[in-house]
Amino acid sequence: MGSRLAGTTQAACKNKADMADADLDFRTGDAGASATFPTQCSALRKNGFVVLKGRPCKIVEMSTSKTGKHGHAKVHMVGIDIFTGKKYEDICPSTHNMDVPNIKRMDYQLIGIQDRYLSLLQDSGDVREDLKMPDGDLGREIESKFEAAEEILITVLSAMNEEAAVAIKAMAK
Amino acid sequence: MMAAVGAPEVISQLESAAKVLMAPPSMVSTEQRQHAEHVFLSFRKSKSPFAICKHILETSRVDYVLFQAATAIMEAVVREWVLLEKASIESLRTFLLTYVLQRPNLQKYVREQILLAVAVIVKRGSLDKSIDCKSIFHEVRQLISSGNPTVQTLACSILTALLSEFSSSSKTSNIGLSMEFHGNCKRLFQEDDLRQIFVLTMEVLQEFSRRENLSAQMSSVFQRYLALANQVLMLLLALIPAALGRHYIAMFESTQNVTLKPTESWREALLDTRVMDLFFTVHRKIREDSDMAQDSLQCLAQLASLHGPIFPDESAQVSYLAHLVEGLLNMINGIEIEDSEAVGISNIISNLITTFPRRNLTALPSDLFSSFINCLTHLTCSFGCSAALEEVLDKDDMVYMEAYDKLLESWLTLVQDEEHFPRGCFVQPAVQVFNSYIQCHLAAPDGTRNLTANGVVSHDEDEINELQEDDRELFSDQLASIGMLGRIAADHCIPLLTSLLEDRVTRLHGQLQRHQQHLLAESGPESLDRKVLDDLYEDIHWLILVTGYLLADDPQGETPLIPSEVMEYSIKNSSEVDINTTLQILGSPGEKASSIPGCNRTDSVIRLLSAVLRTSEVESRATRASLTGLLSPQMGKDIMWFLRRWAKTYLLVDDKLYSQISIPLSTAFGADTEGAQWIVGYLLEKVINNLSVWSSEPDLANDTVELLVTLVERRERANLVVQCESWWNLAKQFASRSPPLHLLSSSVQRSLMKALVMGGFAHMDTDTKQQYWSEVLQPLQQRFLNVINQENFQQICQEEEVKREIVATLEALCGIAEATQIDNVAALFSFLVDFLSNCIGLMEVYRNTPETVNLIIEVFVEVAHKQICYLGESKSMKLYEACLTLLQVYSKNNLGRKRVDVTAEEDQYQDLLLIMELLTNLLSKEFIDFSDTDEVFRGQDQGPGAGHSVSAADVVLYGVNIVLPLMSQDLLKFPSLCNQYYKLITFICEIFPEKIPQLPEDLFKSLMYSLELGMTSMSSEVSQLCLEALTPLAEQCAKTQETDTPLFIATRHFLKLVFDMLVLQKHNMEMTVAAGEALYTLVCLHQAEYSELVESLLSNQRDAVIYQRLADAFNKLSASSTPPTMDRKQKVAFLKSLEEFVANVGGLLCVK
Repeated sequence: MGSRLAGTTQAACKNKADMADADLDFRTGDAGASATFPTQCSALRKNGFVVLKGRPCKIVEMSTSKTGKHGHAKVHMVGIDIFTGKKYEDICPSTHNMDVPNIKRMDYQLIGIQDRYLSLLQDSGDVREDLKMPDGDLGREIESKFEAAEEILITVLSAMNEEAAVAIKAMAK
Repeated sequence: MMAAVGAPEVISQLESAAKVLMAPPSMVSTEQRQHAEHVFLSFRKSKSPFAICKHILETSRVDYVLFQAATAIMEAVVREWVLLEKASIESLRTFLLTYVLQRPNLQKYVREQILLAVAVIVKRGSLDKSIDCKSIFHEVRQLISSGNPTVQTLACSILTALLSEFSSSSKTSNIGLSMEFHGNCKRLFQEDDLRQIFVLTMEVLQEFSRRENLSAQMSSVFQRYLALANQVLMLLLALIPAALGRHYIAMFESTQNVTLKPTESWREALLDTRVMDLFFTVHRKIREDSDMAQDSLQCLAQLASLHGPIFPDESAQVSYLAHLVEGLLNMINGIEIEDSEAVGISNIISNLITTFPRRNLTALPSDLFSSFINCLTHLTCSFGCSAALEEVLDKDDMVYMEAYDKLLESWLTLVQDEEHFPRGCFVQPAVQVFNSYIQCHLAAPDGTRNLTANGVVSHDEDEINELQEDDRELFSDQLASIGMLGRIAADHCIPLLTSLLEDRVTRLHGQLQRHQQHLLAESGPESLDRKVLDDLYEDIHWLILVTGYLLADDPQGETPLIPSEVMEYSIKNSSEVDINTTLQILGSPGEKASSIPGCNRTDSVIRLLSAVLRTSEVESRATRASLTGLLSPQMGKDIMWFLRRWAKTYLLVDDKLYSQISIPLSTAFGADTEGAQWIVGYLLEKVINNLSVWSSEPDLANDTVELLVTLVERRERANLVVQCESWWNLAKQFASRSPPLHLLSSSVQRSLMKALVMGGFAHMDTDTKQQYWSEVLQPLQQRFLNVINQENFQQICQEEEVKREIVATLEALCGIAEATQIDNVAALFSFLVDFLSNCIGLMEVYRNTPETVNLIIEVFVEVAHKQICYLGESKSMKLYEACLTLLQVYSKNNLGRKRVDVTAEEDQYQDLLLIMELLTNLLSKEFIDFSDTDEVFRGQDQGPGAGHSVSAADVVLYGVNIVLPLMSQDLLKFPSLCNQYYKLITFICEIFPEKIPQLPEDLFKSLMYSLELGMTSMSSEVSQLCLEALTPLAEQCAKTQETDTPLFIATRHFLKLVFDMLVLQKHNMEMTVAAGEALYTLVCLHQAEYSELVESLLSNQRDAVIYQRLADAFNKLSASSTPPTMDRKQKVAFLKSLEEFVANVGGLLCVK
């Protein structure tokens, strides 16, 4: 039943989207907030986040070095792209500022699947339908859970105008 | 079976198998390889292979097949010993020896294997009176006297094979005989044969040392005998009674070991001065050959550590030492020491100084003693310079550094017993060694740093990573020795350091000014050379390190005292000191010391500190002039490190701790002095400046905040700190989370929080105290509540600002927990406990945000870690409850959750580790409990937990329920996780054995499996933990007397495991006690099964003698507690006889 309802909303949306793209903007909810903020290298932390080569990364390794015994510290960072899993490295003087991405994780209830797009119920009661079904195991699991009519929450990770479903959890009964 | 008839077939089969084994991996399949291995294995197992083996040795040309034939003979002789005719064993041995003699071109590994077979035959024969194996030495002597180098080499190989086969069990061949057999052989060997080998070796060396020109071949024979002599001496010294071995095998051997008995013959062999002279002569002869020189020096080093009952009396010991020292001096004087001799020579000296008691050294003729000290001084200085050169040239092999370290260590040993020696005899040497150290570490022209024959070499561009230790740790041993020598010669060294440091600071100041003018004038792109600055920084770096080690020690945990030499030095000169000028020098770090009138009449110790303060002041001023980029963070670290070390020892010096006190020191730094208040203020300003200027330098920021913690961790010092206005400003600034403090790394921020909280417990009047807390802790609480109490917190919780606020609060909470001390725990716990329940709420809100979840658990870990041991019953209950709720929320949120993001596994590992740490911390309450409800929580605790139903057991078992299903064998490969896990489950078994049978079936099974796995295939530490867990489990079974429970069945299985472990396997000595206790309780529980185990072990014994000994030993063991009951007295009796049992028959069953 859920999917039928979602289907109609989806159709309505499509029409709307054709009329005015701008209308979609409010759905992302943080149009005003900037995607990143600067932080001095020394204040970054392992397990924290940083932008490396233009990509939002989780810092998995951080070390310092210096040139010569009386040199100033440089920070060496290894990060993993939170969306692609690709590894990036960077080194910079520790006084420099690095961009830290704003990271958001939101849980939504899954109410439908349409053309490999997920229909997600937001807290506000609105439904968003612009998120692609993830590939791989997670996607298959979402599909099978949905077909079995299990109620699940989907965690959506977003940063720097990109988002992806990264986790699912059965809803508490 | 393999009669000579089929010999050609056998040989060709073996040869083709050898071809397969020797082929490159790509050429043959695994099956072929396995088949080939099988061919050899079954060949070696064949019955009486002697004829065919002889045949193979004589005809085959494949080395590997020859090797296998030798191995087959060796194994078969031992296997069939009792069946063989003595004469045929004799002839076999002769055959092997002749075989080797006649084939000088055999491959080395084949020859060694054949000689090993000979050695094994001799060894097996030595226990068999019917065979005379002594003849081997006679034969060897004949070989040696042949004069033929090849034959002599062979003789040496035979001796070496005998030595290694007999000497130690780790080298002993695996010939399937009991450890007891090996032990007995060793004993017999040491009583007589060893000396025979020694005498033979000495004869050869004597002979060679007389020859004028040695051919290359001769000198290689010479070298082999020299190496053999070294091995014999090493073995000999190991026989002198010393510390008992740590391992069971070692213990087993030591019980059978003859310690070196001072028999006349050994005394004659070792104390004869000609023996020692021979080694000196030999060394002189071959010292240019670096390989041989190492052996000859090592022999001398062995002789230099001769001790114990070998000396008939003290005068013998003294004359031996005198002879040694004389020989050494003769050897060293007048030669230019080769690189390859440095380590060997320093080993001789270091052995000599550590082995011979002080009274022996002082009993030496006084001119000999002073020659020795002069020589030592000279060597130390010269090795020190060479070591510095090695560093400059970045050599891989730092021989001089090693030699220098050894000699400095020897100096430390010597001067620590200074009172035994003539007064002042070490002052001049100390001056020389100290000067040379300083010289090597300073740049030209004062010093020789980085100076090589080709001019100055610079290493400034080297990349240094954070794993590289700081010089203060890397060279801590050297610096400690140099610091100690500096104290011995304080008269010279303290003023020297002062003037060098003052000079460098003045130059640094000037150089920085020039840079500044240069920058202001914008005089073109070419900048001033940084080299001058870097040289100054490096000079200052070493001067501060030496000063730090000279002025103070850094004992862990106890109050460091001002070194007595420094105190005496200050007292001695105090009559000529003008206190006011001294204070003026101290109080004006911004001025040049020499510009202050009367500066020559100041206390030198204070002036040296002032020199460091002047360095610090130049640094601070440079930061204010925006020259931070030109400064050296390393120098900043040195200053912080020094001031911390200094403050611990000198600040608020307590005259009650000293028999005599220097007036200048007590006037300047004593309690209630202006000087102390001034310097606290100065240090505080410095700390604050550093924290804002150096936030980008993690190590320097860390050293800085450590100094701050030092200033407030003692109440007396904290009292002065809180009187400073800057302290309050720091507190306010940190609470407001404004720049620059929030740029500091999270660990530094935690320590800063810790310091601020500790400072709050200093002495203040009530109003002030209240005001302080309202500046430090209340803003934290307020800000936090403001955030989480917003109506739309759920919606905004993912916004970056909100998250940052939350993370900062959680970090601060960890810092507050770290500040816990016994006298503030009441206040801090009350403050933190409110936060804990809010944290659980956060756990719910941030359930999808792993980094926050992780940090929340960490807060609980820290609170439990620092506080649980002080908490009374109802407070503990509160903490248990909070932890239980936390775990419930965690479990609920992670149950049925599937994550695919890239760091999911790492996050989970970190959560698990923290949860286990939390549970272990909670359990530690059962072991460490300082709580005294009345004292710590006066009036706050209302009786023993009325109405509360949560116990530590509930929390921990709940936690285990979460953790266990997630623990996989893969995760156990992380050592930290593995240890933490086993610590936890052992704790549980010890504390709540009654809960174990009630566990759900799956959980119970995986717990038992974990224990077995830990016992059998993890580190010995884990194995011991698991053994400790068994005893309470078995006791639990005995208590309930149910014989069909899963736990009862499991313990039966463990009985066999522990039995095998104790009786049949080599194991760690430390484990015998834990294993013994476990065995006893398990035996009590399963007496019938135990009897079966013993029966089946006995029934496997074919040898009647061994059977009887074993049976007797088991009877004796059982008799110690019949019938076995869970009774302490009986248990102790059992353990005692178990020890005896293991020593008696353990070696019998343990086969090698």
